[in-house]
Amino acid sequence: MSRFLAATGVLGAVVALAVLGGHVAPRDPSAVVGPPYSAPGETGLLGTDGLGRDVLSRVLAGGSDLVLVSLLAALAATTIGVAGGLLTGWSDGWTARSLISAADVLLAVPQLLIALVAAVAMPGPAAVVIATVCGGSPLTLRVVRDATRLTRGAGFVEAARCRGERGPVLLTREVLPSLTGLVTADAGMRFVMAIQLASALSLLGFGAQPPEADWALMIRENLPGSGLNAAGVLAPALVLAAVAGAAAATAAHAGRRTNTGRLA
Amino acid sequence: MNDAPGLTVDGIAVHDTAGNVVLPATSLRVDRGEIVAITGPSGCGKSTLLRAILDALPDGLTRAEGAVSWRSETVHSGRPARRWRRHTVGFLGQDPAGALNPAHPVHRLVAEGPGAPGPFAIRSALERLGLDADELWRRRPGQLSGGQAQRVAFARAMAGDPELLILDEPTSALDTGTLGLVVDLLAARRARCATIVVSHDRAFTGRVADRVLRLGGHDRSPGSPGSGSRGGTVSGDAVLSASRLVVGHPGRGPVLEGTSLDLCRGELAVVLGESGGGKTTLLRALAGLHPAASGELRLDGGHLPARLGERTRRQLRAVQLIAQNPADALNPAYRAGTSVARTARVARGLSRSAARAHASELLTAVGLPGADRHFPRELSGGQRQRVAIARALAAGPDVLLADEITSALDEEAVLGVLGLLDDLCGNGLAVLLVTHDRDVAARADRTLRLRGGRLDAGPGNTTDRSEDTVAAHDTIAP
Repeated sequence: MSRFLAATGVLGAVVALAVLGGHVAPRDPSAVVGPPYSAPGETGLLGTDGLGRDVLSRVLAGGSDLVLVSLLAALAATTIGVAGGLLTGWSDGWTARSLISAADVLLAVPQLLIALVAAVAMPGPAAVVIATVCGGSPLTLRVVRDATRLTRGAGFVEAARCRGERGPVLLTREVLPSLTGLVTADAGMRFVMAIQLASALSLLGFGAQPPEADWALMIRENLPGSGLNAAGVLAPALVLAAVAGAAAATAAHAGRRTNTGRLA
Repeated sequence: MNDAPGLTVDGIAVHDTAGNVVLPATSLRVDRGEIVAITGPSGCGKSTLLRAILDALPDGLTRAEGAVSWRSETVHSGRPARRWRRHTVGFLGQDPAGALNPAHPVHRLVAEGPGAPGPFAIRSALERLGLDADELWRRRPGQLSGGQAQRVAFARAMAGDPELLILDEPTSALDTGTLGLVVDLLAARRARCATIVVSHDRAFTGRVADRVLRLGGHDRSPGSPGSGSRGGTVSGDAVLSASRLVVGHPGRGPVLEGTSLDLCRGELAVVLGESGGGKTTLLRALAGLHPAASGELRLDGGHLPARLGERTRRQLRAVQLIAQNPADALNPAYRAGTSVARTARVARGLSRSAARAHASELLTAVGLPGADRHFPRELSGGQRQRVAIARALAAGPDVLLADEITSALDEEAVLGVLGLLDDLCGNGLAVLLVTHDRDVAARADRTLRLRGGRLDAGPGNTTDRSEDTVAAHDTIAP
């Protein structure tokens, strides 16, 4: 439990820093403050990039769009996946079966292909959301569907049926709350997936455009000068890894929290 | 032979993450050839002790101090303990149905046990527990009754002849005949292994154990729950009646074939019968959870639909079921008080605050004062069972269908629950109780026996004396 709180705290801090970092940046992230590729300490704490801009300020300012878009994408994918999973896990009707088939078809299409096609056709953030929903919600749907099927016959659901609760109430008041840990864990994985997609698209040039500050874009821009100022590449790479790592750790603990601790 | 001690547990204590003591320092020693029973009130930490010994505590609990050694060698936690569990220890948990992988057939489940038993050992283990190995061989856990699942899990624990056998409530779902088989089996294996048994059943521990350890609470010997039957508060009119019920499982023949039953207001009726004989199915059919294929149900003389979804709100409220398995009886997301209050709100239309107050009263009545704020994961199996009883009562039912509700409880709690049921019966509640416990059955107004898919009404107000002769080999309807 305490480790869960620690992981949640780290995730909260990293996300808050990423979203609000631009406001605490010591300098204007797009202003030229020194010679190109100054080493850390010479100009600013983390040196400068190829155009002489402050790396620290750009790292602080460069996460908000990336993280917010990924959060939005994860939220959309989880909501759609959970709704579909509850529906298909609960009923065996025609709608449920066609929904499952649609999800399976989506799963068969490579996610990166969807992402690239979407990125060509529309702005980067929309592409991230669409690709995460197309690639992620079928996975969520599958997991939630199986869990719902198991819960359908659980004692507490039958007790609720015996006192007169009907389908929609059973799903939202009994089944869904009992799956909180699972859904939280799954949402965490979708967030990690969205962050990876968003940074991959930026790295390929489909996301944020120069002179914007963006972690993935910074890695690409500063790679040629990494011999002079390695911090220009390492700093954005590390914060990206920290956000994804903290999200994954929180998700893993959330998944274990509702575990009843059965010994198989 | 080897004179080294078997299992030595030296002052192990269990704390939760907040540092609260869940189990105070406990020591015990079990030698080869010895059977040690552990008893105590529910919630005193019996299961926690077993899990601490096995180094398999649930999340949030840690073994704060103490050591476990096997044959004078310390079993370190982590990987050595896992290896020790896999090769040396046969373990039967309190929730056998949950411990069986639903995807595997019975023979594979038993083969998972310590010592990797072969087909011959598997077959003999199943048969020595009174199970028909041929019939069950390919069944999956979903197709087993509560008592059969418990015996399959038991067979898994002992088929490979482990040197240490740890059993948590091994008899909670077993009838008297099968109980005798378990006693014989433990006696026959005694010389080859060390055994720890957790049980509430004093008669059982008295028969098998060399020593009885009492955990927590003060030692007191409550009178047998069987002392004295209830006075005649039964009134003649049937509140729930079933005629010629036929209930089947898909893929198998009918479990109930023309079962008829009349349950009177204020009556406590007990259903006895073989495990796997359809007792649970009967209750579920009456509750509407497992609709009968044919037959007629009547509530207060009016037609009662077989399907739950077709019953009116008043009919739903009137018939409440308490299920056998306390492990998944409560929603893990809600505190006990919330679960109970929700039923009072939905079924009886009480206001939020009135429902809360009523839930508190009911939890106190079942012997769990102050449990409102606890989540199910903080409650033991017996405590969850009592919350489930309170939840069913919160609906204000006319008929209570209770499936083995006393099996997870210690004697004191059984007395409390039976006393509560007595009071409620005095106010006109009809109770249909499935049980294996003869002492509980002795308190009933009427004993019914489910045999071959039919209910034979036993003579009113007496225990069925022929119970001892009911062999475990009684044929069960296909």
